[in-house]
Amino acid sequence: MKKQTADSDRFKRTRLMILSRVLLVPFVAVMLVFGTLVYYFAGNLRGHVARELSQIADGHCRLIDQFLSGLTFQLQFVAASHNFESITRNGRLPEVLQQLQAGSHALLDLGVFDENGNHVAYVGPYDLKGKNYSQTDWFVAVREKGIYVSDVFLGYRNIPHFVIAVGRSEGGRSWYLRATVDTLYFNNLVEGIRVGKTGEAYLLNEQGIFQTTRRSGGELMEPDTDHGIYQSEADGVRSFSAESTAGGRHLYATCRLHETGWLLVVRQEIADAYAPLIRAVLIAIGIIVAGGAVVVTMGFFLASGLANQLTVAAMEKRQMGSQLIMAGKLAEVGEMSAGIAHEINNPLQVMKAEETLMMDIFKEMQADGTLPDNENVRMLRDSINQIDLQIDRCKKITQGLLRFARQSETTIQTIEIPSFMRDVVGMVERKANVENIRIVQEFEDGLPSLESDPAQLQQVFLNLFNNAIDALKGRDNGEIRVTAKQEDAMLAVAVTDNGCGIPEQNLEKVFLPFFTTKPVGRGTGLGLSTCYGIVERLGGQITVSSEVNAGSAFTVRLPLSGSRSHAETRPTTNSKGGNNA
Amino acid sequence: MSSTRLLLVDDEERFLETTRKLLQKRGVETFTAANGIDALKVLEDHRIDVVILDVKMPGLDGVEVLRKIKQKYPLIEVVMLTGHASVESAVEGLKLGAYDYVMKPLAIEDMLKKVNEAYDKKRAMEDKIRKAKVDRIISHPMAVFEKEED
Repeated sequence: MKKQTADSDRFKRTRLMILSRVLLVPFVAVMLVFGTLVYYFAGNLRGHVARELSQIADGHCRLIDQFLSGLTFQLQFVAASHNFESITRNGRLPEVLQQLQAGSHALLDLGVFDENGNHVAYVGPYDLKGKNYSQTDWFVAVREKGIYVSDVFLGYRNIPHFVIAVGRSEGGRSWYLRATVDTLYFNNLVEGIRVGKTGEAYLLNEQGIFQTTRRSGGELMEPDTDHGIYQSEADGVRSFSAESTAGGRHLYATCRLHETGWLLVVRQEIADAYAPLIRAVLIAIGIIVAGGAVVVTMGFFLASGLANQLTVAAMEKRQMGSQLIMAGKLAEVGEMSAGIAHEINNPLQVMKAEETLMMDIFKEMQADGTLPDNENVRMLRDSINQIDLQIDRCKKITQGLLRFARQSETTIQTIEIPSFMRDVVGMVERKANVENIRIVQEFEDGLPSLESDPAQLQQVFLNLFNNAIDALKGRDNGEIRVTAKQEDAMLAVAVTDNGCGIPEQNLEKVFLPFFTTKPVGRGTGLGLSTCYGIVERLGGQITVSSEVNAGSAFTVRLPLSGSRSHAETRPTTNSKGGNNA
Repeated sequence: MSSTRLLLVDDEERFLETTRKLLQKRGVETFTAANGIDALKVLEDHRIDVVILDVKMPGLDGVEVLRKIKQKYPLIEVVMLTGHASVESAVEGLKLGAYDYVMKPLAIEDMLKKVNEAYDKKRAMEDKIRKAKVDRIISHPMAVFEKEED
């Protein structure tokens, strides 16, 4: 169990390592490249948008300036080319207005004022003739400056408008020419500027009063709540982004008109201005996310596969290593136990002979009647019998040892594993039934027959069955599963139980002679070592896997051909090489 | 039938002593030798039917002794006695003409049984040879004067 979690830990570690090295590093690189690209692209686009807005502001600023200075110039020209009498003469003023309107529809009406502000002549849609303007802002200003462009105001007509006025000094007196600019025409001129979806333009006077309407809300002559944002002493075009009081961030470009000191404001919502940038970034993020998901998924599978292979390879290597160590250990122990068995057999032989002699002497004494029939003699005889029994016991142990370590004769026959195993199962079935254990047999179809020693194999499997039954003693639902299948050139027969299992620290000792967990006198610890010796001699392998409280599986792999070749190459000490001190 | 004459060769003195007693009691005339050289000496001095020969001995090894015995006295039957279950030395012994091999520790009854079997075989062989000789003398009477073979 511990090994399994260690393996799964190793698997996860390896997978993470592969994922991080193969995937994370390129991913970070791609993200860096992507980030850099977006950063520069965004910077570029922001600059581009701001520049575009500034250009629009600048261009329209000039346009409006030209428009206003053009009108002013025309009025100056009219004033210069007339004297008070000629301009106020009946019919002359409409004529002039007509001429002016032929050049531009911007002018709505035209009026002439004397130096006291009396409206002496008027042509236009309103009835304004005769009214006195001496106290109006524009009249005061034009009398002072000679040329004046007003802010938008209501005036007598009570409609928002603005005027352009020029003065003319003629001899000792002055008169003034005033034109009203068509608010609708002028408004369209400014409001018509459109940038993107939300881009708009409007004019503010120095006090921050709307001189044109604003599309997104802002009527003529209303104060602009955002005026504070773009108050600036700087001349020329200025662009910046700011939060408007109504909410929403805007990109602004402002420019001051020379003629009137009005401020042309061009603004666009940030989201709209940066829409292409946002779209591009979104597409890129989409690609990165989708592509990243594909790459991560692929990488995950790849890493899982690789990690799995590595883990399996590591496990196989470890298993092979431990099997090699075990085989080496067992070979060494084999050499040693063969020596021990031999050395013990010699004294045993002497003891056996002595014991027989004692019994012979008893028999003779009995025959000639010199043997007294008393308790001591009976005890002596019993004692000698006991020695005989113990010598036989020693003999069994040394023979077991020799079976593990040394070759004994093998009688090779053809074995059909299914029927062979059924016979062996038949021998242990009664014992299993007593313990309430089921024996399940599963044999692959079409198993090839085997050339091996049936008597020795029988001993092997009987041993394995007996161990399995012992492991299942006193457990419910005991089951022994016998399976046989072909593995390349080997035939694998496994005996699996769901019994008590073998602790990990014991796993590599189970094949060692005299290793036993059974109570003293119940087992010699030679069963599995004998199995090991036999299977090795037959050119096969025996392996064990087990988990405590889950069960154990012993697998015997036997070669389908050439079973003897292995036995012949097995190193042994023969009688000539040994010594007997 | 005269008693079997047996030679027991082993390096365990006590084993030789005791086993000799046991076999004598059972009507087998037993000689002993503690090593190969002694064994060959005994064979020179006495007429022996069966040899029980320990495979593993200091000095002259059991298999060597067997080879020499079979060379000089091909009719003597040899039973190999081994503490090893080693097939190799047993097979080697059998190839060299040993009658059989037995494992230590061995009960006296089993030993006796093997000895008797070997003796019977030897007797049968000798009978055959005698018969062949008689046949030859009958057909070629002059053969009596030819040198007798062992």
